[in-house]
Amino acid sequence: MTFPYWMLIVVLAVAAFSIRLLGLFAGDAIKSSRFAWMLDDLPGLIIVSLVASSLAEQSIGTWIAAAAALAVAYFSNHVILTMCVGVVAYGSLVWLGF
Amino acid sequence: MKHGALSILPLAAGVAVYGFAFGLLAAQVGFPWWGVALMSSFVHAGSSQIVAVEQFAGTSAVIGAALAGAALNLRYIWIIASLSEVLSGLSLRMKLLAIHVTGDENWALTMAERAKNPEAGVSFLIGSGLVVITVWTTSTSLGAVAGSSLPNLEQFGLGFAFTAAFIAMARGLWRGSSNLVPWVAVFAVTICAVTLGAPKAYAIVAGVICGLAVLYFVKNKKRLAL
Repeated sequence: MTFPYWMLIVVLAVAAFSIRLLGLFAGDAIKSSRFAWMLDDLPGLIIVSLVASSLAEQSIGTWIAAAAALAVAYFSNHVILTMCVGVVAYGSLVWLGF
Repeated sequence: MKHGALSILPLAAGVAVYGFAFGLLAAQVGFPWWGVALMSSFVHAGSSQIVAVEQFAGTSAVIGAALAGAALNLRYIWIIASLSEVLSGLSLRMKLLAIHVTGDENWALTMAERAKNPEAGVSFLIGSGLVVITVWTTSTSLGAVAGSSLPNLEQFGLGFAFTAAFIAMARGLWRGSSNLVPWVAVFAVTICAVTLGAPKAYAIVAGVICGLAVLYFVKNKKRLAL
């Protein structure tokens, strides 16, 4: 394992634990601050951005598979089921030449 | 502690599937199984690890990948803050252990259990958390062991599994029409940034900053209208 791999683990571990520590020490103060709305909405914004970054510049087949996954997610609200249907849809579309 | 450990088992099965898939991906990127085990036990943040490794695979930019992963984990400020009552009275060492083993699943389960039984507290949280971190570390390592002997699974749609998982997570975080404008803005800005050639990790940060700005504008507009 080369240096960049080690660095990624160390930096991510420090960042992840620092965020938890921040939560521990900030406690109720953050919840009652005027920035509480930001913490509330940030996870959704980040997840949407992640979806967008993985769909950018992808084939039409990937977008159709994403639409199928969105439909399953909308009705089931289930992560594992959405993953399974998404992968099957993606694999089928690749097989069909999309 | 035993009650928490037993109660989390059904959720831990889902974590194992997710962890195995992450291990496969990490091995494809070049992490050895023990590197995956180290990351899983010291980071213990599923979606952050997936994002960081995915971004690292695409760009090899360590700081950008780690920031993208860590940014996804910002919800833990809120999650851990909400545990202040549960953690009160504990020694600092036990608090540090408790916050490290806290994940989405065992935090949610502890809060649900406390709603039914206020006696459920830190021992429930730690018991369930220890099971989750053990299952996560083991399943990701096993995935990496399998992954290093398999062909590139990206072509069979494994990479898309995470896109699908994020779509499902977004569905879980959807709180109604108030999300629509900022979410569309984030989506559009991120797509544009990647299309214009920005590395994905930085496109994500740009998209989120734009989304926050739009959200701030929308909230202020609503407040002024009242």
